[in-house]
Amino acid sequence: MTNIALNTKSYNKFASTMLGLALSACGVSNVVIEGSFPTPNINKLPLTMAVLYDEALRNFAYIEYTETGEEEFNIESGLSHIQLFDAVLPAMFDQVIIVNSMEEAKTRGVDAVFAPAIEEFQLALPAKTKLDVYEVWIKYNMRLLTAEGDYIADWVLTSYGKTPTATFLSVEAAINEAAVVALRDLASSFSLSFSEVPEVRDWLNRL
Amino acid sequence: MSYIAANLVKTGGIISLLIGALSACTSTTVDEFRQGETGIENHESIVILGRRQASDYETRSEFVDCVGEHMGNGTNSIRVVPEQEFVDAMFPWFEPRTAPLRTSDLEKLMAEEVVAQKMDEFGVRYIVWLDGFTETSGRTGSISCTIGPGGAGCFGFGTWEDDASFDARIWDVDSATSVGTINTDANGQSYLPALVIPIPLIARVEANACSRLASQLKDFVNGS
Repeated sequence: MTNIALNTKSYNKFASTMLGLALSACGVSNVVIEGSFPTPNINKLPLTMAVLYDEALRNFAYIEYTETGEEEFNIESGLSHIQLFDAVLPAMFDQVIIVNSMEEAKTRGVDAVFAPAIEEFQLALPAKTKLDVYEVWIKYNMRLLTAEGDYIADWVLTSYGKTPTATFLSVEAAINEAAVVALRDLASSFSLSFSEVPEVRDWLNRL
Repeated sequence: MSYIAANLVKTGGIISLLIGALSACTSTTVDEFRQGETGIENHESIVILGRRQASDYETRSEFVDCVGEHMGNGTNSIRVVPEQEFVDAMFPWFEPRTAPLRTSDLEKLMAEEVVAQKMDEFGVRYIVWLDGFTETSGRTGSISCTIGPGGAGCFGFGTWEDDASFDARIWDVDSATSVGTINTDANGQSYLPALVIPIPLIARVEANACSRLASQLKDFVNGS
């Protein structure tokens, strides 16, 4: 009995070691997007805006598969998206409050609640596209709600970033660079087009 | 002993001359088209920005930095605002999607109080837009390397051609007009002979394009 238990223990240890080796040899490369984002130079709107980052945005990760269907890159960009919005929103509105729920937004007496969501993330690698650039596309659904949770506006924004292979960065660094360019693209188009979204413009005119 | 040393020096000198001669195989053409008067005061500066709107290429920031460094040094040097510092300070107005493509766009942009104020803080008199890339073509030859118990070595020959083509468009910020364009085209053949050790004889195409363009731009902006 003791002998069997020991054998089982040894087998488990052996199996977990082998699994670990296999994962480290052919495992997925983890890329956590990191970058710094400047504060926009734009005129502020006289609004108190609540921001609701849901779990899907906070933990957003995209997995790129090889042509044979194996996981190749795991790109985690949730934190960088939050850092980006934290840099951009205070430059757009007089006051920005981060809330954890719609109930909290209601009790804080805000003018509106902004809830961004990522709908789609795409990565194009030179090895697959045969182009000399790494490319990242991100599609967002921007939602603006009243403090009571009623609809104000809901619009789609896409952002794009690329890094040439000529920069001689590692694949992971090049993906990070392309994603940071895409995030800057999002920040520029969002901050400049916010008041131009028809539903937002109508709502601003009614205030 | 001194005979060997003298021979070594002689051989080294010949190799250096050979490398110098072969690596200098680059031809550069610069064309200038002037549309307006130029000149710059000591308190004024310029900013050099790379165009990054094209889908299949983008102007490398290293080339932009190179031109900026050359313009900021030597006689008649000009104060150059670093590209990234300017783009970050002006965010989000000079991003690839939002940057002005025409001088009429610049005029509209300068109507924004925050933009005009930042531009004034930097003292920017001219914006230079650099657009272009370096293309490598005509790769021929092959080199094979072997390693064995007795040592290692490479044998063969490789060659390729580099062609750098860059346009510089100069905008006067005060009048929101285009004052001129300078085109630079440089090409050269690089060689990689390998006789035990590979000896790269690289044509410094982009470096030559950078220095010639910077020199011409400096004269252009100074109005000389």
